[in-house]
Amino acid sequence: MKRLLQIPSSWISISTVLTIVLIIPIALIVFNAFGAQSDTLVHLKETVLNDYIINTLVLLFGVCSLSLIFGVGSAYFITFYEFKYSKFFSIVLILPFIIPSYILGFIYSDILGFYGPIHLMLKEFGVKTYFDVLNMNSVIIILSLALYPYIYLIVKSSFSKHSSFLLNPALSLGISRMKIFYKIILPLSRPAIIGALSLVMMETISEYGLVKYFGIDTLSTAVFTAWFGLNDPNSAAYISTIAMIMVFTILVIEKINRGGARYKVESISTPIKKIKTKLLGQVSILAFLSIPFIFGFLIPIIWILIYSFEHYILVLDDDFIQTVLNSFMAASISAALIVTIAIILGYSARIFDNKYMKYLLKVATLGYSIPGAVTAVGIIIVSTSIDNYIIELFDLDGLVIGGTIAILCFGYTVRFLAVALNSIESSFEKIGVNVNKASRSLNKSFLTTLLKVDLPLIKSGVIAGFILVFIDILKELPATLILRPFNYETLATKTYELASIEMVQESSVYALSIVLISIIPIIYTLKDTNEKHTNTK
Amino acid sequence: MIKNILATALVATIGFSATQEVNIYSHRHYDTDKQLYKIFEKNTGIKVNIVKAKANELIKRLEKEGKNSQADLLITSDAARLHLAQEKGLLQTVNSKLLNAAIPENLRQKDGYWYALTKRARVLVYNKDKVDPSTLSTYAALTNPEFKGKVVIRKSNNIYNQSLLSSMIANNGEDNAKAWAKGMVNNFARTPKGNDRDQMKAVAAGVGDIAVVNTYYLGKLLNSKKRAEVEVGKKMAVFFPNQNTNGTHINISGAGVTKYSKNKENAVQLLEFLVSPKAQSMFGKANYEYPANQNIEPSELLKSWGSFKEDTLALEELGKNNSKAVKIFNEVNWK
Repeated sequence: MKRLLQIPSSWISISTVLTIVLIIPIALIVFNAFGAQSDTLVHLKETVLNDYIINTLVLLFGVCSLSLIFGVGSAYFITFYEFKYSKFFSIVLILPFIIPSYILGFIYSDILGFYGPIHLMLKEFGVKTYFDVLNMNSVIIILSLALYPYIYLIVKSSFSKHSSFLLNPALSLGISRMKIFYKIILPLSRPAIIGALSLVMMETISEYGLVKYFGIDTLSTAVFTAWFGLNDPNSAAYISTIAMIMVFTILVIEKINRGGARYKVESISTPIKKIKTKLLGQVSILAFLSIPFIFGFLIPIIWILIYSFEHYILVLDDDFIQTVLNSFMAASISAALIVTIAIILGYSARIFDNKYMKYLLKVATLGYSIPGAVTAVGIIIVSTSIDNYIIELFDLDGLVIGGTIAILCFGYTVRFLAVALNSIESSFEKIGVNVNKASRSLNKSFLTTLLKVDLPLIKSGVIAGFILVFIDILKELPATLILRPFNYETLATKTYELASIEMVQESSVYALSIVLISIIPIIYTLKDTNEKHTNTK
Repeated sequence: MIKNILATALVATIGFSATQEVNIYSHRHYDTDKQLYKIFEKNTGIKVNIVKAKANELIKRLEKEGKNSQADLLITSDAARLHLAQEKGLLQTVNSKLLNAAIPENLRQKDGYWYALTKRARVLVYNKDKVDPSTLSTYAALTNPEFKGKVVIRKSNNIYNQSLLSSMIANNGEDNAKAWAKGMVNNFARTPKGNDRDQMKAVAAGVGDIAVVNTYYLGKLLNSKKRAEVEVGKKMAVFFPNQNTNGTHINISGAGVTKYSKNKENAVQLLEFLVSPKAQSMFGKANYEYPANQNIEPSELLKSWGSFKEDTLALEELGKNNSKAVKIFNEVNWK
């Protein structure tokens, strides 16, 4: 393998093979879409589909806008301003991402719902009117809180890398900060913002549990109505495909809009001169940053802690440790695998900067926009076909790869490659290609250059990608449910199991475990950046 | 030769062993089930392995795995899904005198493809302070003008609602069922959302007066650790509809042995254990479900709600009419 990676063209071949393997389950779904029964589709079109499409667009628009405000806003303040507690906020603003969005939804419906603490308090004060928290606005806010950290993480690292050398002179020329933000910072970070936004869009469009509970029907409702209700999985595949196409159309329109302009800057990372602010400025910044932190993390974690304390005895049995281990192992192994694949693909696209590689990368990430349950079916089709072949060949009895952890990891890879690739691609873009070219002009091979030059430079992007994928896998539910082996539980499946029988409070210990395990890699990064700080000092 | 070595290696890695086992695909997530499996393991030495997911997805997995599937038993929490699995040829018949004697005819498939494990009724629950029970009668009566803006119920993609409508299609025909669904939509207090507990909370809060829910959720509210939830439960009273007509709609959670089961005997043995008096009373006590075994009494809480006449419609009708029900829901815009 190592030798192979010394040969330039083998990078393209390996990337192509990897992409094909990852895309087979998705391709099968698209293929199935052609078998959609027209009467199912006609029925849906005549009755509910229009409403669902409108809801989906409203939801997309709302979640994109709000998570942009939270994500870009907080990344901007953290990167360019000096204020008290900025270090603290730079870390904790990631945390809302740890809490699964369906849990966040249940928590807020519990707090704000009828007979929740807020209503009871209002009743004490003699307020008789009830408000209903289960609505579209709530879904938009909850999803934005759960998803803005994608934007925050990716955009923050983009801001900090490539803006300093343009920003410092601009500032010294006395150009206004607003102007600098709109004219320099935003355009430079546009690819990173759009990349992060596409993750938010894909996640929103495949969201099912939360929207169902809050009574909002989107395209993913139609997917499950077609599949479960009307027993027509092909039509479900068809609607999934449409949803996927919708996301990519939006992205393509953005690309055309951006025109041929390429915002690549060869940057030397000199530290940014942070803007100092007066007290009022500091207070407003802190107020702004507190909103996503308090509502996205602090309140939910307090809720989780309270109920964990009440219910931990129910849950802490022999199986609990096994469940934690399962989650941790599956997430770390799969995340490592996914990040490795993302590096290979991202690096190939970097050294062979052509249209083919660009499209290849886009294709490899398609899995993310399809509901996990649908992707999982594609994977089952693949694994059972391979199984049937092996079983026939060796005259075996029973499945070989179906229902194994390996298949589960494969499922995670198909689903979450987009997340890692996004982070790694934008890191590669930031450092520019000259360092790579310089290394190769010194007769260093592609592989040596990657390992010795490029990887150390994009380390923070790799780590960010790993953390995002790691946490995403910890939270992953639909594919895990279907693909898992016998007697295999993860923290997410246990959380869901209790929540699905309307025992959300009892599930809090598992939700808390997800949070605690997710914090491990985040603290690791924190330590890492601290060390870097002391080194540079 | 190489083939043989590889095959041996594969077999070794998969770890086939001589221990007795039974493999379950289950849509039931209750802790009681786990305890029951442990007791079964202890009594028989047969190891119980389980994959839990939603029924439709498990059926899909079973379907794709085909004759190589390792599953022996499919457990779902409603009859329609069992029928679907049967229709797809994923189940096989079981002939057990014990099962046939314990489970009444309307709660099992007549050829033995599947059997009920527990029974639940979809009832009306009303605010004691606001509703005079003498004004209640049938599901159909909920569509009367006097209940306009008073009824809450969850979304149409919920299987219990689909089964309720399916039973009406089977009992009264498609047109009447559609008229009922339309009448319900007209009388909704709010757009359907939330789970069954949320419906009762909405009734307690005065959003509506009557909710249509499964019985065991009221049991769960009344036994909740949260005082507010108990308070909600205490405000509710149960009304069994259709007592003078065809009876209250019931559904089951049930199980069937898979067509390609490799441990059929063990699977049947487990089924027989799950309908035994001990297991049945555990289902009832922990999860407030009605026993499927006709010789077992319901738990005290359930008895306190009174006995009722149940709809004896063959449950496979729920599965047969499921797609029609979904279409009607969409047509009348039941969200």
